[in-house]
Amino acid sequence: MNSRILVVDDDPALAEMIGIVLQGEGFEPHFCADGSQALDAFHSVVPDLVLLDLMLPGMDGIEVCSLIRAESGTPIIMLTAKSDTTDVVKGLESGADDYMVKPFNPKELVARIRTRLRPVPVESPASLQIGDLVVDAAGHEVKRGDQSINLTPLEFDLLLALASKPSQVFTREMLLEQVWGYHYKADTRLVNVHVQRLRAKVEDDPDNPRIVMTVRGVGYRAGAAG
Amino acid sequence: MAARFEMNEVGWRSWGSWRRLTRQLRRSWRSSLQFRTVAITVVASGAAIGLVGVYMSVSVGNDLFQSRLTQVQVDSNRATTAAQAILDSSDAADRVQVQTLLESARTSISAASSSRLVAVFRVPGQESSTVAPQDSSTFGTSTEVISPELRNAVQDDADGQYWQSVTLASDDGSTIPGIVVGSQIAVPVAGKYELYIGYSLADAESTLLFVQRTLGGAGLALIVLIGAVTWIVVRFVVSPIQVAAETSQKLASGDLGVRIPEKGEDVIATLARSFNGMADSLQSQIKELADLSEVQQRFVSDVSHELRTPLTTIRLAGDLLYDQRATFPPATERTAELLHTQVERFELLLADLLEISRYDAGSVELESEPTNLVHLAEDVIDGMRSLGDSKGSDIRMVAPGGHLAAEVDPRRVRRIVNNLIGNAIEHGEGKPIVVSVDSNESAVALSVRDYGMGMTQAEITHVFDRFWRADPSRKRTIGGTGLGLAISLEDAAAHRGWLQVWSSPGAGSCFRLTLPRATGVTLTVSPNPLPPADAESPGYVSPHAEPRRDHHA
Repeated sequence: MNSRILVVDDDPALAEMIGIVLQGEGFEPHFCADGSQALDAFHSVVPDLVLLDLMLPGMDGIEVCSLIRAESGTPIIMLTAKSDTTDVVKGLESGADDYMVKPFNPKELVARIRTRLRPVPVESPASLQIGDLVVDAAGHEVKRGDQSINLTPLEFDLLLALASKPSQVFTREMLLEQVWGYHYKADTRLVNVHVQRLRAKVEDDPDNPRIVMTVRGVGYRAGAAG
Repeated sequence: MAARFEMNEVGWRSWGSWRRLTRQLRRSWRSSLQFRTVAITVVASGAAIGLVGVYMSVSVGNDLFQSRLTQVQVDSNRATTAAQAILDSSDAADRVQVQTLLESARTSISAASSSRLVAVFRVPGQESSTVAPQDSSTFGTSTEVISPELRNAVQDDADGQYWQSVTLASDDGSTIPGIVVGSQIAVPVAGKYELYIGYSLADAESTLLFVQRTLGGAGLALIVLIGAVTWIVVRFVVSPIQVAAETSQKLASGDLGVRIPEKGEDVIATLARSFNGMADSLQSQIKELADLSEVQQRFVSDVSHELRTPLTTIRLAGDLLYDQRATFPPATERTAELLHTQVERFELLLADLLEISRYDAGSVELESEPTNLVHLAEDVIDGMRSLGDSKGSDIRMVAPGGHLAAEVDPRRVRRIVNNLIGNAIEHGEGKPIVVSVDSNESAVALSVRDYGMGMTQAEITHVFDRFWRADPSRKRTIGGTGLGLAISLEDAAAHRGWLQVWSSPGAGSCFRLTLPRATGVTLTVSPNPLPPADAESPGYVSPHAEPRRDHHA
């Protein structure tokens, strides 16, 4: 079955062109040109991934992003004409998994979509321990005791990457490569923002993290099991 | 020795405080118009009042003395005449009688002249007489104040009356001014006698003293009053001027909203009104300019953003065609290739334009983190090596220092280094390129040296200009946007660093980037030399360049 991709963009030419590229790669694109209708389109299409423009008529892309994120962990890639720090960080904080700055080329677009649809497989045992959490790699589930914690696929990948090598310190660049699929220097803010989002869900006290530990000046590592 | 030392200490201290005082006075004199005006007024009016006071005191003193003298002369004349009358009417013949007579004459003189001080001396040069009474004086110790000159004058003139100002000793030992009046009297049988009557001027003097004291007090009060009035008046005039001065200073330092309060219709109010008018027009003009500049910058930024969406479509379309170019006929294939490369170039240009507009808008923030400049340079060199090889340039790295981390924005520094090495490859004519990194305690420096065609002095002055090209006929092989060095200069300036160039036509160029190791440090000296150590000809060094842009705060 082809992956369904919802393209939310108000520029008809760009949307059509993205559609052509996606079809050429075997995806099934659906379109929505208005921010206020994006959530309805999301419900009717039930996409595997959303490409979301930041500047939309009707409703701001950032708002659309948080609405979708509120009910689903479906991967969201933002398309933005602004590479300005505040817009990017705002988009990521509202729940986008990744972002692409216009203009981008088709290969890059497809590569990012594929990474998000088929997360990099982590060779790991079926069940891992990180802090007081149990990560079930096969079942895509995280539990604290009997309580299940709801993570987006990206957050799960991030946690799994850390948990699979508990003794290793991951630099932001390593995480970018392993979780986001970047093979070159990319924006490390992606990692920072998503670590914050992950901590907000899994830590008892996000200001005093015990699961995702910061190693100052280097990066992150998993908290001790126990 | 110790005591002496201490004295010196005290001396120095008081000297120091004196100097401090004079310094403070001098400063007040220079800085305060009010102080200066009051001081001049007080000194000038003080001098005038002093002169008037002295004149008045002297003339009052003279007048008192003259009137007293006249009175004294009349008085003594009367007393002498009365005494002479007593003497003349007497028939005394023997010594005792004469003595008694003279005593009674003296008593009468004392009574008539109301003076206790009476002296009687027998005129010398007469034949001695046994009857003649002895010289006598009630002047006491003050007898010698009767000068020989006075005595001579009296002795020589039997009818004249002579006077002299003297200083008399009072009972309590103090001295008081006085007058001695002398004349001759004839004593029956005994012959001619000099008669001296002393008058005290104590009363007159106390009157004079009182007058002087009153004058002094009044003068002093007047000076204080004049000072106070001047101070108040000057304050009235100066304080609006002070307000105006402070306001214009604030205006000059950029606070465009300040105004002088306008009160009344006088010249000060006119000054305030015209000043405020000037400030209004200045403010509106600056605001207009700022708005215009802001509009322009936002326009550039908006245009760049708006261009991005259609450019993305073009990019996607172009790449799609490019990927399928093998299936096209040759002309179309070449078209697809050109489209692909030119869209890429357009994209770079747009990105650079956007970066420059961000700098122009002043919305650039550094994301500094500890960065190893040597590693960063090695990274960039690795990335550029294939390009260098394609042009035949071997890129070498020399790093005597710079291995410790510096607090810089790695993305921007990487962009600068990329740019410098790219330029070196472009203009290096296939000769080696040397990248040297060094550091001192406060700065890190990175120099990129090529041995290519170099630049003339005129070219150096434009090398950081936007869209400037050394030689329009030169073929571009790497395809820069023409904004690279302008952005690099901005990047360096954002770090409060330097980007300078040395060049010599035919001998190559050396670009030197110097950055402070920590934020907030001011650069004074760069660890790398410029001109480079291996420079054979003097060449030209760029002046310390600042980014060229319309600056508005």
